[in-house]
This record gives sequence, C-alpha cells and structure tokens, in this order.
Amino acid sequence: MKRIFAASAQLALLLMLFSWDCASLSEQIPNTFVAFTLLLFPFRPHNRWFVILFWKTIRILVCFVKKIESGKIQFMKIILRLLILGVVGLMSSAEVYAQAKFTVSGYAKDRSNGEGLIGVSVYVREANTGVVTNPYGFYSITLPEGSYTLVFSYIGYEKSTNSVSLNSDQKLDIELAEEGRQLQEVVVSTRKEDENVRSIEMSVNKVDIKTIRKIPALLGEVDVIRSIQLLPGVTTVGEGASGFNVRGGDVSQNLVLLDEAPVYNSSHLFGFFSVFNPDAVKDVKLIKGGIPAQYGGRISSILDVRMKEGNTKKREINGGIGSIFSRLTYEQPFAEGDGSFIVAARRSYIDVLAKPFLNKDLRNSRFSFYDLTAKVNYRLNDKNTFFASGYFGRDVFGADFGFGWGNGTATARWNHIFSNKLFLNLTAYYSNYDYSLESSRNDDDAQDKFEWNSKIISSSVKPDFTYYLTPNNQLSFGGQYIYYDTRPGSAVAISSGERRDISLESRYGDESALYIANEQKVSERISLQYGLRYSFYRNLGPGTVFDYQEVQKGERQVPQFPGTDYEDGETIASYGNWEPRFAMNLGLNSRTSLKASYNRTTQYLHLLSNTAASSPLDVWTLSTARIKPEIADQVALGWFQNFRDNTYEASVEVYYKSLQNQIDYVRNSDLLLNQFVEGDLLFGKGRAFGAEFYVKKNKGRLTGWLSYTLARTERLVEGVNNDGWFPARFDKPHNFTAVGIYNLTERFTLSSNFTFASGTPATFPTNRFEWNGWALPHNVYNARNNNRIPAYHRLDLAATLKARKKLFKTGESEWVFSVYNAYNRRNPYSVYVQQNENNPLLTEAIRFSVIGSFIPAITYNFKF
Amino acid sequence: MKISIKYLLFYLTLLSPFFLLTSCEDVVTLDTETGPEQLVVDGWITNQPGAQTIRLSRSAAYFNNAAALPALQASVELTDDAGNSYVFQDVQNNGIYQWTPESDSVALGKIGRTYTLRIRYEGEEYVSANEIKRVPTIDSLIYTEERFPIDPPEGPREGYIAEFFARDFTGIGDTYWIKSLKGGKLYANEPTSISIAYDASFSPGSPSDGLMFILPLRQSITINQLFSAGDTVGVELHSITNEAYYFLQQVRQESSNGGIFAVPPANIPTNIRNVNPNGKKALGYFGASAVNRAETIIDPARARPKE
Repeated sequence: MKRIFAASAQLALLLMLFSWDCASLSEQIPNTFVAFTLLLFPFRPHNRWFVILFWKTIRILVCFVKKIESGKIQFMKIILRLLILGVVGLMSSAEVYAQAKFTVSGYAKDRSNGEGLIGVSVYVREANTGVVTNPYGFYSITLPEGSYTLVFSYIGYEKSTNSVSLNSDQKLDIELAEEGRQLQEVVVSTRKEDENVRSIEMSVNKVDIKTIRKIPALLGEVDVIRSIQLLPGVTTVGEGASGFNVRGGDVSQNLVLLDEAPVYNSSHLFGFFSVFNPDAVKDVKLIKGGIPAQYGGRISSILDVRMKEGNTKKREINGGIGSIFSRLTYEQPFAEGDGSFIVAARRSYIDVLAKPFLNKDLRNSRFSFYDLTAKVNYRLNDKNTFFASGYFGRDVFGADFGFGWGNGTATARWNHIFSNKLFLNLTAYYSNYDYSLESSRNDDDAQDKFEWNSKIISSSVKPDFTYYLTPNNQLSFGGQYIYYDTRPGSAVAISSGERRDISLESRYGDESALYIANEQKVSERISLQYGLRYSFYRNLGPGTVFDYQEVQKGERQVPQFPGTDYEDGETIASYGNWEPRFAMNLGLNSRTSLKASYNRTTQYLHLLSNTAASSPLDVWTLSTARIKPEIADQVALGWFQNFRDNTYEASVEVYYKSLQNQIDYVRNSDLLLNQFVEGDLLFGKGRAFGAEFYVKKNKGRLTGWLSYTLARTERLVEGVNNDGWFPARFDKPHNFTAVGIYNLTERFTLSSNFTFASGTPATFPTNRFEWNGWALPHNVYNARNNNRIPAYHRLDLAATLKARKKLFKTGESEWVFSVYNAYNRRNPYSVYVQQNENNPLLTEAIRFSVIGSFIPAITYNFKF
Repeated sequence: MKISIKYLLFYLTLLSPFFLLTSCEDVVTLDTETGPEQLVVDGWITNQPGAQTIRLSRSAAYFNNAAALPALQASVELTDDAGNSYVFQDVQNNGIYQWTPESDSVALGKIGRTYTLRIRYEGEEYVSANEIKRVPTIDSLIYTEERFPIDPPEGPREGYIAEFFARDFTGIGDTYWIKSLKGGKLYANEPTSISIAYDASFSPGSPSDGLMFILPLRQSITINQLFSAGDTVGVELHSITNEAYYFLQQVRQESSNGGIFAVPPANIPTNIRNVNPNGKKALGYFGASAVNRAETIIDPARARPKE
C-alpha cells in the first residue's frame, strides 16, 4: 500500500510540474482522440479514467510546449531553462531570441520510390549546425532571418545542396538519388556526413537492408535477426535458437518493434528464421545503450524495424524463390502519389512439393510457416499523413494433432505537423502472440482429447512529439499507455469421455509512461541528450493471488491457501519507476569524439523460459506482487573515430550493466499450465560488462566490418550455485565477426562472413551413482555452469549474379548462391552427459550440433 | 503424446534435407572434476509378497564405468509405525542387503503404513521414511492395431499399441509410477522412459483429479516401438509419494536433457538424511509402494482396429 501511495505521489508530482497554468486546451488534442482511444481498444470500464487521465496529461504537455513556443509567458521560459534544458542550457547564447527567427522544415525522400529516409543529415553551412531526419523523414530547423545553404547527405545517396532565403517560414521537401554503382571509391569533399562521430547516439547499430541482403544467409534466406547477430555486443545461445542476446540481457529483454508494435516471438521454425520479410523492411536499428527516453518496457535493447511504405512513384513487384520461402511483394502508388501501399507475403513451400508423394496416412498433415505484411500510407496535406500497417505470421504443424503459433500486429499512425516546429506522431497498435496445441484435430467427438492455447494481447496508444525548439535544442516528449490481457493457458482435457477444464486464470495489467527529453548542442564540441521517463504499472484483477512459503532456499515454494480474491479492475500490485536517460558527445576534433551514456530501464513483462533456447511455448507473464519489475542500469563510454574521409568508421565502447529482479527457476520447474508457477520462480540479480571494438568500411568496392567483443555476463541467485555468481547461459567471453562484401563487377558481388565465439557455459557432474540399474549424475559442489563447451566458428560465402537480360524489359533479376558453414565444421550447440542408449549403467558425454555440415543453397530474386 | 511419434518421424524425414541430417550427436570425451565418494542407497519396498532388498554402494567419478563398489558392513534396519522391525542382511557380502520372509506368501509392505529405514555405515547414521500409498485397480488392458507410414528406427512397422485403463482416486495429490511389462518382466526399464502420473495426468499444476488416466499415460506402456502378435504385455501400477514423484521426474530429466530446449542440469534430490546435519551426505532414494498389475497376450483377432 505504501508503494502504491508513493507511486501515485510521484505521478502527481510529475503532473503538477506540467500542469502549471494550463487552461482548457482541447483544441490541441481534441476529445475525439480520447473517444477514439476508448473505442479502439477493448479497455474495460475501470480503465476509462486512466485513459482520460493519460490524454489529459498529454494535453498539458502540449500546452506547456505551446506556451514556450509562443513566448507568452516569460516565467515559463525560465522554468523551461531551469527544468527542461537544465543548468547547462543557460549557457547557450541568448541573442538568438533577440532576432526574428524562421523555420525551414520538410521531408527527405528517396527519389526512386518516394520512401521517407530515416536519419538523413541536414547541415546548415552558414550556421555550422544541423539536424537529422526522424523515422518519417521529417526535419525542422529554426534560424535567424538570412540566406542559408542546406546540405542533405545520406550514406549511399548523392548529396543535395539547397539554397534557402529565410524571411518567412518555409517548407523544403527534397528527394535524394542513390549513388551510381560504387565501382570507384567516391571522393567526399566535406566531412559533414560523419554522423557516426557527430551524432549523440552511441551503442546504436543501423544496418542497411541492402547490406543485410548481401550477407551470406542460412539456406539463402535473408534474415534480419541473424544479421544483427554479427554486430558487436550481440550474441545467440546457438544455431536454431530464437532471438538474440544484447550485452548480457536474455532474449526476452529486447523490445522488438515492427512499425512500433512489439513482436513477442520473432522466429519461424523455432529459431531458424525470423518473422521479418526482408522485402518489406526498410530500416533496422538496434539500440544497445544510451536508450532515448521515448523507449521503454524492456531492459536490454530496442530493435526498431520499420516497414517500407510502398513506392509512391510507380508500381513495383518484387519476389523470389529460395530453398525455404517463396516471396512476393507488390507496391503501388495511388491518389497521384499522395498515397501508396505495399503487400508482402512469404510462405514455406516444402509441404506443397511433398504433398503428391504422401500416402493416405499423411495426406492431411500440415507443415508450413508463412507471413503477410501490409502497409498503406496517405498524405492528406502538408500537415497530415496517415499510415496503417499490419503483420500476420504463423507456423503450423500437424496431422491428427495440431501445433501452431504466430504473431499478429496492427499499427495505425498519424503524423501531424502542428507548426513547422512541432511534429506529432500518434501511434495506436494492437499486438498479439498465441500458440495452440491439440490432439485429435479432425475428430470433434474424440473420447480422449487435449486442447491447449495461450495468448498475450497488448494494445496501446502512444503520442510522441518532437519540438524543434532552436537548432541547438530538440525537445521530445510524449507518453504511452499499454493494456495487457494475458491468457497464460486455456486447456481442456478429455479422458475417456470425461471433460475437464484445466485453464489458468487470465491476468491483466496496464503500463503507462510519460517522458520528456532534450537534445542540446551546448557548443560546437559538446552535445547532450538528457531525459526522464516515468513508468507506472498496475497488475489488475480479477484474480486469485496466493502467498508462497519457502521450504528450503532454491527449492519449490509452497502456496498458502486460501488465496486472496481480487475484484474486476482492482489493483493487485503496482509499481512506479523513474527512468533517467543521459547521453553526451564530446568532440575531440572533426574526426574523433568521446561519448558517454547512462540509462535506467524497467520491464514489467517477463518471459518464463528455462530452456537453453527460448521455445514457442514459453509464456509471457505480467509483474505481480511477487514478480517484481526487472530493472537495469547501464553506463557506457565510447571512443568514435572516422578515417580516410569517412571511408572507415571505428569505435570502441565499454559498458557496465547491473540488473535487478532477474528470474531463475527451481530444479524441475513446471512453467506451463501450472497454477502455482510463481512458487517455481527464483529471483536474483545480474551483471554484465564488456568492451566492443568495431571497424566498418562504408565505401568502395569492398565494404563490411570487423567486430570483436570481450564480455562477461553473470547471475546471482540464492539457492543456485551455492549462492555464488555464475556465468549466464549465453555468456560468451570472446566474440569476433568479420563481414565482407566485394563488388567484383557491376553484375557480380561476392560476400562472406566469419564468426568466432567462445563456447557457452555448461554444467557437468562430478560423480555418478547407481540406482535401479541406472548410472545417475551428481555434482558434489552443486555448481551451475562450471564448464564451457568448445568454441564456435563458422565461415559463410555467397555470390550474387545479376542477370544480363532485362526481365519484362525494365525488370531485374538475380541469382544468389550461398554456402553456410563452408568448411563443414561440427559446431557444438551443447555438450551434455547421459547414460549409454543400450546400457543405462554406462555414462558418456554427447556433443550436439544443430548444423553439422555445410549447407549450400540457391535463391532467385526478381523485381520489375 | 506417443501417438504423434509417427508424425514426428515423418517430419524428421521431411526436414532432413535441411537440418536433421545435418544435425548430429556424437560421443566426445570430457575432462571433468571428481568429487569425494558418498554412500548410495538404492532401495524400494512394496506390498508384494517375497524378499525385499536394499542395495548400498558408493559413488564414483562420473566417467568411471566400472561397476559401483559395494558399501559393506553396514547395519540396515527397517521399522514401521505399527511397531514391527525388519533387519536386512548382506548375506553374500556384495552390498545387497536383504530381508527374507518365513514363507513366500508373506509381504512386508502394507498400504497406509509408514516405513523408516535406518542405516549405520562408517560411523554415520542415515535415516529415511516413506509411506505406502493407495493404488487403484487396473480396469482393463487393450491393444490397437497400428501401422507407421515409414519404417521406424526400432521395432516393427506394423504392430500393436498396448493401453491400460485405470482411474485415479478422488482427492488431489495421488502420484503413480507406471511400469511396462513384456513377457512377465519389466520392459524398457530405462530412465528416459520413466512414466509417472500426478492424479490422472502429467503434472500437479493442471487439475485432473479423479479422471481415467489420460491417453498418453495409458499408452505409455508402449515404449519406443510397437508390440507384435503373441507378445505378453502388461502394466505394473505403483503408488508413490509426491516426494518420489519429484525424485523420478528429476531422474528422467537428467537422463534426457539434450537438444536445443535443454534446461540447466540440477542435482537429483535424495530422501536419505544423515542424523548429524554436519555429517557426510548420502545419495539415492528409498521408496515404498503398493502395486497392481495386469497382463495379457496379444491376439490379433481381439485387437482393436486402427481408427
């Protein structure tokens, strides 16, 4: 109760901070928004007040910023200076306010297809300042009256230089053309595209989808998640494992966003392929540290995947046939280019090929995985653009039994430009993950049957404002409201005609967050980003909650009966957390900078998974009175340097991360369909630290990168490993990757990647004992992860050959030949001990390799 | 879900060009640390007439595949809560301590009684207690024709799936060990094939109290391969305590913990306790159960046809 009070007090304080002198401001955020939110999402009545409060707060935020903008209240300016910009803000020049100022704003787009370009650098030569376009391609700069030269630059695109005579607010939309074939090294005359060194961002990796397409892929299937595993600080527990691990975080601690909607399981076929169709992906960004205040909800990283918007210039069809998937993508403009849409579909087709060869028994078996991605955008006018996008994917296995899982997401977005300086993106999303298992699929009257499904549904509203205050201050603020509806397990068992419902109770919760942050150029050399996010979580009724009693440390805890019943909408537990975010860039010279960052992140949703690789059956579980929110604090320090006119970019980063309330499990834990699953959980803490070395070559015939990470990830859980620190399952001290892409001729590209990583930790027994004619293992020291399996290394090769002949006169086509695991190494996924299959009194150690030989593949892609 | 084995086989074949031929397991040598040896208790008494044995041995280095050394010169005594006492003796001096009744029709165990085992060995005293729980009768034993779409790795392609019917008692928390018989003897008695039930289903979390044992458990006596005509098949249903259920679950877990979904290995629990908490610890398990069994000979004429 005390905690709830404290949390409410914190929230009230935050509201007071912003509600200063704010009259009715419904014109900023019309009531229709509130109504829309309430209608769109299946919020139950008791959440209404919360949604209304949420929008009220957002209104107040907008009002606050509006007041600053209009300069109506000097007092507000002072507050702004003191509270928002901080003490350092006072140091920035004051004369800016004395002169008339005007704003130039607009969108940067790709000339070939009209897609908005993310992260284009907009540099004002005369003022020696600049901004970067946002995820929608929008930029805005406010400058004193005068004539300026704006230089737009973006890697892989030709620079665009525009003269602007600023005597009124102006709109300037520009289109950038892709650079021609990069057969000669491009000579760059200015140094201003050294975004790597200049930007405040650190611990961020952007991988161009064009690069991802060229990296050799398993079975030739271009894969976003497998590609990011080649980046520094990113690892995987092994081949076939779903997801990825970032800087000592587990798979569930990454916020994987597809057009801002979270994707709860990013894998097809357990973990071999990811759910993102490469033909529909526009931009991939991984944030490992210095996480900006606008992101929250997971503690380790943000993987922000943005979908293509659809070609606004002409109809385009892309497709391909690989060894696993066949793909087809269709894009088309409408309303004279003011709108466009894209539809992309992928499906595995081995079942279709196998069907004619199946006998009667197997004719009705199902074995496929597919996904469908679609997006439409429409630009109503200069101030309003709408986007709607959706994803639906599923893996289906079965015959007379069925097993299926998949994600579905839907996102609606509205980009609104209030003034040339204030940009709003309002996102509403719905995201769902579910799986189901059933026996006797084709027999509804079966005497013996088992049906089981599990589901998590989240829906959210998320306004994000960007206020381009001055060229040196870019303010962002906003919030998010998420409602969770989880059904951890609904199951029915029929045994000999008797039916038994063995479902678990649904669990509900909501998470709200408000944030404000500023990116400030203090001087030519120093820029800062500082922000604060406040997140507030409630675990809501109805539900029955049990207390648990510890019998022995590290062992299963016993539920105490009777439990406590909570009413519909009653708060079972609540948590509020302040999450400060800070980043700094100290330019040493035009090619070198030092960066530092700190962030605290909180996570209220936990994936209960005790297996080496996360399985599709793992259940997402909300925080409760017993399951506390996971909290991480990370500090990182980095040195960034570009060489040879930005041909090479290099960085060294060190980080230290401390994690609280990490979940572990009792031995033989029962995590599925278990009403008392909380009794099987253990809680501990974690720490991770490391150094990441990275060199990337951006231009020339040969491009690619080298990355080396030296890291350590440990956990401490009472009752495990004699209460001592032990390496986490995914701890890999050494990790080296090399990626090279070589454009041999205009038509022919070769690529290769090499990976070396330390073996993952393993637990081996010290002794054996005989019982019932079986040799059983025992570790006298009760140790966890006291050994390590042999190292992992692998080389992949690929060659892309563009066809000489035009496809349907204007189209292109290409063949991709690839070899995975080229030198045919049997890399261990794990080494474990067991009894000999034929004699359970004999013991042996087994090396298990998921991919034990080289795998060649051919893929054909086309575009017209 | 034993029934789905055939489909899993099918998927193995379907996927093999891509992964499963390339996925592989091979035996490697490992250099591991060895801990001090401990006393191991391997004993299980039942309500069946005849001799009862408790084997005492010593643990060894994990990869030492020589037979376990016996623990000799121990005193082994069993008492029940009705005041009876039974002395187990190592007649052949090989670590196998035995109690033999006056006549073959006398049983040691009685349902509802609690048995306490007391072992004195090398100056240490160990105790362990266990209760014999109630066991349901086996209603019937049937077999169904089955034909796999492809040749299975073990056993015939065409044969029979045996299935027993029994009903769990009303009252939450009955636990059972289901053992398979072939030719009158325990069959496929491997740790990976341990079949245990919590009420009528697999685990305590899902309420299945009082039901007929669910299908996968009923068919769990058909292990890895089909039976053939003329086989004598059977089932032995043992009542076990919850503690024994968790012990056996862990034994099975630690014996089949490979693959991409392996869980962190953990030590198998024991119910052997040194009376001196700071004394040497022992390993193993002392169990007690009541048993019901049923057997039949597979006659193709009486087999259930395939669905």
